[in-house]
Amino acid sequence: MSERVGVYICHCGSNIAGTVDVEAVAKWAGEKLAPRGVVVARDYKFMCSSLGQELVEKDIHELGLTRVVVAACSPHLHEKTFRGACARAGLNPYLCELVSVREQDSWVHTDRQAATQKAMALISGAVERVVHDAPLEPLHVPINPATLIVGGGIAGISAALEIADSGTRVYLVEREPSIGGHMAQFDKTFPTLDCSACILTPKMFDAGNHPNITLLTWSEVEKVDGYVGNFTVTVRKKARYVNTASCTGCGICWEKCPKKVADTVFEAGLGNRKAVYRPFAQAVPKYPVIDAENCTYFKTGKCKACQLFCPTEPNSIDFTQKDEILELKVGNILLATGFDLFDAKRIPQYGYGRLPNVFTSLEFERLCNAAGPTEGKIVLRDRKTVPQSVAIIHCVGSRDENYNRYCSAICCMQSLKFAHIVQERTEAEVYNFYIDIRAAAKDYEEFYDRILEEGGHFIRGKVAEITDAARFPGEEGKLIVQVEDTLIGKQRRIPVDMVVLSAGLEPRHDAKEVGKRFGISCSVNGWFTERHPKLDPVATMTEGIFIAGCAQGPKDIPATVVQGAAAAARIMGRIQQKEIALEPIRATIDEARCSGCRICNSLCPFNAITFHEDRAVSEVNPALCQGCGTCVAACPAGAISGTGFSNDQVLAQLEGILLRNVDGHKVAVAEPVAA
Amino acid sequence: MATTLGFSQEVSNLMSATRGNPIRTCIQCGTCSGSCPVAPFMDHGPRRLIAMVNADLEDEVLASNTYWYCASCYQCTVRCPQGIDIAEVMYALDRYSLKKNRYKKGLVGPGFSETFVNIVHGTGRSYEPLLAPSYIFSYGPKGFFGEVQTAMGLMLKGRIPLLPSRVKRLQGFRRMFSRAGSDGGAS
Amino acid sequence: MKQYAYFPGCSLEKMGLSYHMSAMETTQRLGVELHELEDWNCCGATAYFHVNGDLALALNARNLAMAEKQNLDVVCPCSGCYKNMSSVRAELQADVHAAGRINSALEADNLHFTGKSAVRHLVEVLVEDVGLDEIKSRMTHPLAGMKIAAYYGCQMVRPKKDSEDVEQPTFFEELMATTGADPIDFPLRLRCCGGSLIISSRQPALSLVHDLLQNAVDHGATVIATACPMCQINLECYQRQVNEVFGTKFSVPVLYFTQLMGLAMGVAPKRLGIGSEFVSPKPVLAFCDRPSAA
Repeated sequence: MSERVGVYICHCGSNIAGTVDVEAVAKWAGEKLAPRGVVVARDYKFMCSSLGQELVEKDIHELGLTRVVVAACSPHLHEKTFRGACARAGLNPYLCELVSVREQDSWVHTDRQAATQKAMALISGAVERVVHDAPLEPLHVPINPATLIVGGGIAGISAALEIADSGTRVYLVEREPSIGGHMAQFDKTFPTLDCSACILTPKMFDAGNHPNITLLTWSEVEKVDGYVGNFTVTVRKKARYVNTASCTGCGICWEKCPKKVADTVFEAGLGNRKAVYRPFAQAVPKYPVIDAENCTYFKTGKCKACQLFCPTEPNSIDFTQKDEILELKVGNILLATGFDLFDAKRIPQYGYGRLPNVFTSLEFERLCNAAGPTEGKIVLRDRKTVPQSVAIIHCVGSRDENYNRYCSAICCMQSLKFAHIVQERTEAEVYNFYIDIRAAAKDYEEFYDRILEEGGHFIRGKVAEITDAARFPGEEGKLIVQVEDTLIGKQRRIPVDMVVLSAGLEPRHDAKEVGKRFGISCSVNGWFTERHPKLDPVATMTEGIFIAGCAQGPKDIPATVVQGAAAAARIMGRIQQKEIALEPIRATIDEARCSGCRICNSLCPFNAITFHEDRAVSEVNPALCQGCGTCVAACPAGAISGTGFSNDQVLAQLEGILLRNVDGHKVAVAEPVAA
Repeated sequence: MATTLGFSQEVSNLMSATRGNPIRTCIQCGTCSGSCPVAPFMDHGPRRLIAMVNADLEDEVLASNTYWYCASCYQCTVRCPQGIDIAEVMYALDRYSLKKNRYKKGLVGPGFSETFVNIVHGTGRSYEPLLAPSYIFSYGPKGFFGEVQTAMGLMLKGRIPLLPSRVKRLQGFRRMFSRAGSDGGAS
Repeated sequence: MKQYAYFPGCSLEKMGLSYHMSAMETTQRLGVELHELEDWNCCGATAYFHVNGDLALALNARNLAMAEKQNLDVVCPCSGCYKNMSSVRAELQADVHAAGRINSALEADNLHFTGKSAVRHLVEVLVEDVGLDEIKSRMTHPLAGMKIAAYYGCQMVRPKKDSEDVEQPTFFEELMATTGADPIDFPLRLRCCGGSLIISSRQPALSLVHDLLQNAVDHGATVIATACPMCQINLECYQRQVNEVFGTKFSVPVLYFTQLMGLAMGVAPKRLGIGSEFVSPKPVLAFCDRPSAA
């Protein structure tokens, strides 16, 4: 063995040393692995400290180390640190191996002797492997400065403005006819009680008019090809059947349209729109769309009232318009697709859908909104009666094993806001039914205090059922909320006129498919998965794809805006660097051995393998490849090898772990195969 | 050396292992007490009782009528957001209460249940006439006569068995039982 | 012919004899063969679960093991027996240790439990295995105009955890609709009748019974249809006590659903056990046309 290996084992305070006898392991490595190339073996309290790193650097210089093994915590945490130390000392960083003797040893075992033996075996494995390591250079790929943002809610809009302001192009794709998202539906926002539209529409306007933002509404992403820095995205711009070059947004078309349709999106089913419509008054862009599925002309060939009355020259209604397919080239993608509301019908005992005066939170927002179906009047489903008592139910479909385990983060504050609005606009008695009041962010607790001062009943109890079956006097004709008032320990039946269900937030119904289209995954609850829940909430495991807002998990508007800005900053940083270095741990296909069976093609979770029809071989795109190893394992011809995970390296490591390399045992490794 | 188990642990041990999440996961939301049709008649609703069990308040828990008043309607169990089988908790408390022979004075349930078990032990089937003495005297004089009236009515309509029925393979049945009950009732 | 092991349960022997009679009459006419489970023992009601968990398991495991020997699924007309046997079966299948203990006890009676035999409620068997269309086709004497309050009770539906259906099942109303009668809106149809509390906690039980009777009357019920002898007894035999305590004047017929089905099939009331009630079933019989047998 001509390599000179340095072995370092970290105490990590008592995290490792408390269970593993690190000094003994260092001594053992220095003695028993010396014939295998180890020239120095040290233990140290905190290897990741600058002093610890300097130990490694010093030995590289003074002892001429050619390979380094560090036994410490998980490589996720400090692989980069030690590779950096090696690089500073002039050693190729990919000649450094990390062994986890913490997460894989000291933190999962209690038997000191066994744990120490295991540490020795793990280090022995790393020593065997590291001599097969080859110096590698990271891949450099250029970054296209254009950015794609999917989702035109407040998260997408915030990010788009930040990036566009920095001078690069942004494509903002939104599936609805207008940007604005859920925030455009709200009346007021907590805790400031700002009018939602008033704070949102200026941003919408900016986004719609920014020279660097290309707004693609009524559009959807159909396909994503390529890799970080070089994505090719296919976008279907659905036909609006409106000529945006001539349309002035005057609104005569939808005024004259005879076909009413229940607006299940913007009005949450509470109001109607026409077959040709603009979702709301401040829509950006101002151009309407024709809902072909409900349009009389498209269904029967008759009507065309919109075209008839359109005053522009040339006429802005164009029934012959076709969907447009666009191919966008971008360097980074941000998914800010938002949330769907929990379907309250799934809780039959709350009566939503069966008892008319039970409303969801989004329906109630539309009721409160001055531009909504009741012009801001809080009335019952009959559109006339003002309720004299309103019950607001927290935790509908959240914190519940039967529906969604998680807390939806915003419902408590939203419920308090509702309580305020009801008190402000009616004389009604307000009841809030809660389990806990979650008011954790800035000014939230103070808001809760304010609502308490305004009067209103706060009953701690998760509502058992809402019924119209009267059993006691005073209940006839009312909705009865049956609940245990846990703070006084009594079951109560409280008759009210109106019930508002603070329904939870859920991932979009198609989040999984969308994730797959972009090559990212969803958590068990269906939210897009971030790279690290604490320290990296806007990046994903796929380079170049970012997430922000409720698509990542339930959160309020301030947090959404922050995430949008964070994602924008990351992207802007990448754009500024002009190129990105990618990990060279990749799979490569030996063309000579590839039979063109294409088994690997569909297995790749990152769509990184392309098939060359002309040569009948597959090829791995090194920029897209994440080095997961699936194709390496699957290839029946053994034609694929993973850089950094070659057969030699893996088999040598196994021999080392089995300690077949010490005390004169012969190491049995297959002869290296010509690459 | 045996460690003494706290009350809440003993109760947990008497619950079937497969039914629901541990009692300590209760967040005290009150869905159970809100749903329970008998709660207005209980000393403590099921929610508070569970809090008392988790606080190891053995005396107060055993002294309440709550778990003997449970009708096993399972409305609490199907709605509990933490997935706790609350009806099963009540069964566990009944078992504990009988094991220690400690329960609220005047309750009919303990005596009735034990009598029922003894009858079935003996013949494999239940028999109403033998059950009657375990409860009929606890309703007061008016209640007693009311009950007698009901019983006579049922008898006249042919709805009360005159003779007890029994399983045929009684010996095997009894042998099975002595083996099943031998570990003292822990589920 | 579909075959099942029939588990009548202690109540159907005498107290609920009319349920047994009418169950036999209707199932015979619907192609359902019920073979009484030989040497069945009591399911333990709630009492056994109050006293000892393992004894309760053993009691039900014995019945299940005997049904397995016959290679038949078990059908229970009584919701209490149904709940006990199906939940014990589920528990023993999920808990390997409990199954071990219970099987070693069952050995003393030469029995072994594996869980092969499923446990079905009589209502379930009729709705799912026979089918509503087939049942409707047998109703030669439809009870047109009769208002039925289809009372599910508790243990036919719970503690299975299928949240949406558990809270708003419709199968019992659909089954009752096959008789030609109208199943009315009966909001308290899933609320407890008190069960054995009628004995052990009289006051709460009477209150529950009162609420159910009031609700049925408020919604215009001619009769309350039950699928459990405990429910039937509580709702019917204690109306006098309820009237005494609450000052009401209830006189609501309460019949087993199989009796109503039998009437709609043209079976003579006596064969269905009608005549042994406290509350006269005259309002129900008034809806029975008696044309010549179809």
